[in-house]
Formats: sequence, C-alpha cells, structure tokens
Amino acid sequence: MHISTDPWIWISALLTFCIFSFLVKDNPLYKFAEHVFVGVSMGYTIVVVTWSTAWPDLFEPLFVRNFAEVSIGAKVLLVIPMIMGLFYFAAFIPKINWTMRIPMSFLYGYAMGVYIPSDIQANLLKQIRDTLLTPSWLTNRLPQDMKATVALVAHTRSFNTIVDALLMFIRGPEGSRGGIGPLIILIGAIATITYFIFSREHKGILKPVANTGIIFLMIGFGASFGYTVMARLSLFIGQVQFLLHDWLGVI
Amino acid sequence: MTANAPEKKTFWQWLATIDRRILYLVMCLVVVIPLIAMLRSTVEVTSPVQDVFNAIESLAVHQKPLLVSVDFDPTSRAEMYPMLTAILRHAFARRVKVVELGIWQTGFGLAQRALNETATEYGMKYGEDYVFLGFKVGVDAVILGMGENIKKTFPVDARKIPLDSSPMMSSIRKLSDFGLIVSISAGTPGYQDWLLYAQARYHVRTAAGTTAVSAADAYPYLGSGQLTGLLAGMKGAAEYEALDAQHGFKQASTLASTAMPALSYAHIAIIILVIIGNIGFFASRRRK
Repeated sequence: MHISTDPWIWISALLTFCIFSFLVKDNPLYKFAEHVFVGVSMGYTIVVVTWSTAWPDLFEPLFVRNFAEVSIGAKVLLVIPMIMGLFYFAAFIPKINWTMRIPMSFLYGYAMGVYIPSDIQANLLKQIRDTLLTPSWLTNRLPQDMKATVALVAHTRSFNTIVDALLMFIRGPEGSRGGIGPLIILIGAIATITYFIFSREHKGILKPVANTGIIFLMIGFGASFGYTVMARLSLFIGQVQFLLHDWLGVI
Repeated sequence: MTANAPEKKTFWQWLATIDRRILYLVMCLVVVIPLIAMLRSTVEVTSPVQDVFNAIESLAVHQKPLLVSVDFDPTSRAEMYPMLTAILRHAFARRVKVVELGIWQTGFGLAQRALNETATEYGMKYGEDYVFLGFKVGVDAVILGMGENIKKTFPVDARKIPLDSSPMMSSIRKLSDFGLIVSISAGTPGYQDWLLYAQARYHVRTAAGTTAVSAADAYPYLGSGQLTGLLAGMKGAAEYEALDAQHGFKQASTLASTAMPALSYAHIAIIILVIIGNIGFFASRRRK
C-alpha cells in the first residue's frame, strides 16, 4: 500500500467522495463539488479557447502585428468577424439586442450550406445503399453461408457448434455481413419507417408491418440500454481504479 | 395513531422495493473486490477492433501517417483514455508518425498527457515522429480547412512551433495525406463530424473509438463501411490492449483489461437484481 503524497491526488479523491455522497442523499458537500466542477470546466474552456483561437487568429494579427506582417486588407477582414462576435454581447443590452440576429443568421446559413450536402451523402445515401440487397449477396454470399450453416448443423456435437451454426445463418462469417443479415436489415428498416407513418391509421397491411417495426425498435432500445449500463459502470470502475491505484496504491 | 402507522411490507414487497443504498453498496462491493483481488479474464478480440488494429498495421507497411482526434474530456476518461493510449502505443511501436489534435477544448490536457506518456516510452521525437496540433474552435471549419491545407488551419502547433519548421509535417499538407483518422469520441462533436467532412468529402479512412452509450449508433456506419473499425467502450479498449500485449509491444497498457472482471461481475449483479426486482413485483401483485 503506497498512499499518494501528491496534494492534487488527495483533492481529486476528496472531490470524488463528495460526488459519491449524493448516492446517500443530496448534501452541501455534493453541491460544493458540483460547483467546483462547473467553475473549473468553464475557466479551463475560456483559457484554452482564448489562447488557441481568439488570440492567435484574431487579437494578435489585428492588434499586435504591424502592417508589414499583416496587410491592411487582412486586418479589415479580421474586423468583420470581430464585430460579428461582439454582436453576441448585445444580448445584455435590450435596446440593441436585435443585432445578435446578424451573426446568428450568418452562422445558420453557413452551417446549413456545409452540413446538408455532407449529411445527405454520409447519413442518407450511404446508409440507403447499405440497406439494399445486392445481386452478389443473393447469388454468392447467401448460398455459400447457407451451405456452411448446413455443414455446421450436420456436425453438431456441442452447444457451441449450435451457436456457431446460428451465427453463420444470421450473419455469415464474422465481419462479412453475410447470412440472412442483409435481409433482416432491409425488413427492419422498412418496418421501422412504417411505424413512423402517422398520416394514416395503422390498419390492414400497415398494422403487422408497424408492429414488426416496434419489435426492431425494442431490440434497438435494449441494445442501447445494455451499452448505457456498461458505460456507466465503466465510469464508476475508472474512478474506483483511480482511488485504489493513484490514491491508496493498493492495486 | 394505529391508522397512521406505516403498513408493514411483505417479503415480496420488500424485494420489489429494496433501498437503493443497499443496491449501491452491492454494486460497490462487486466492483471493488475483483479489482483488489486483481482478478484477470481473457478478452476475446472482436472483428471491429481487429480492423482498427489492422488499419494501423497497414500504415506501418505503407509509411502513412496517422491522425488521432481526441474528442472527449475528463468526464469520460475511464472509457476513452485507455483506448487513446493503446492506439498511440501501437502506432509508436510500429514507428507510425502521429499527428494529434482535439475538437473538445476540455480534452486538451488529456490529449497532451497521453501523447507525452506514450511517446516517451518509445523514444519518439517531437516534430520528427509526432506532432500535437492542439485545439481550434469550429469543428466543421477546422476539418474542412485541414482538408484543403493543414498549415493554414494550424500555422503553429500546440507548442507554438510553426508547422513549416516541423520535419514530419513537410510531407503532410492536407487530410488526404493521412492513411487513417481515428476519432476517440465521447459524443458530439466527434467521429460523426470526421465521417461527414473528412471521410465523405476527402475519402480518408476513418475509425472510431466511442463510449459504450454511443456505440449502438456507430454500428450502422461500420456496416456501411464508412467506419474502418470501431472500439466500443471500455471493452473495446481492453480488446485493443490485448492485441498490443499479444504483439509484444512493451509496456502495453492494462487499464481497461484489469477492469474487465469487475465489469463482468457488475453486469451479472445487475441481471440478478433485475430478476429479483421482477420476482418481487409480480409476486406482490399476485398476492393483492
């Protein structure tokens, strides 16, 4: 056991206990640690943003460097974003707070122009393409994986080989996206989108398809919940590792 | 007095409403005991993690640099930091040149620490083998700017050294010069921005390390081939550490690997508690 002599480790450990004390009930120690966290984060952010962007990209070329280093044209170009940025502070002056809309509208316009084409390409077109069944899957991948599944079933001797056969049937060899996997994805995508059709009552053919969509949604939520549990536990374990290793030195 | 006295709970009702403090205590013991007992478990490497490893191996073969984006902050350190160090160790062990930057301002310190820690282990030289660009505001503008000209976006690195004077940066001008981008991402902005602007527009191979919370959202990108590989949560980090150890990289990190038994037992405890809670709930409802 080698207890740390570093005062910062001790401060971190004590703040950790202050935060964990919330598990018993809300208390002033928890509130203290929470406020310290928010304050430190904000202070850190301001310092990093100032010295990494605002100073080298705006203030230094505009006010420190002379005209031989930065041309007058470049300086004028820097004045425009600076004024736009200052408009944000107009939020505190009711008489001129409308000026805040100018940089906001500029930013929205820029962001939409940049984001929409990239988003359509990366999140829509590529995902749609990935959902479609390809002829090569139908003629090569699927028959191959079905043969492999049958072979595995024929040689089933243990529980593990049953699982292997099932996995081969559903997804093909690991990482290949074979088996009936692409078909399941297609059915899942169509059924889930159908569930979100709210302009027509879910009757007739829509009903079973939408209900299938609910099953896929529930499986998705279950997977997300499982991962969320793992994430929260990981954070807790990480902090326990810090206490046992860095602070107490028992592991 | 008797009318106001609290109704005595049956065993089944107690089972369905166990005091949360008892549950926290159970979880605490389940996590602490395996860590103190230093239990170890074997980690099976999954194909998305193996793909990230292979992609970095291919960088070593083709002498291409690696771009690592540190897109997390201390709140997700437990999951993300082991990933970052495991990937950096692998890259440095294979003498792959590394450029690191961050699009989360609060991740600046962690990014710097991980780079210094791992580069020292392998005797890598700053400016020749690795460069830390630091942080710059404006995610999309930064990525798009790097796509056209890195030195215009980052005239100087985090140490205020001009990139022009850095020997390794003489051959790295824009994003497409990188063989792989790895975004260690705890949310937004993160790997999705690298996919949107770097992968889709400049066709640079992109891999991601994500928190377990956002792993489910990342899988569609893996299936479509937009992501080259994926490290999901602490388990993903442990898998990468196992690969580092298998390949004999000296001082392979074990931060995530040592946490795996505690994580497994905690999951088992949660499953048991969920079952107990449900038994209590249904049994007490039946008795009513």
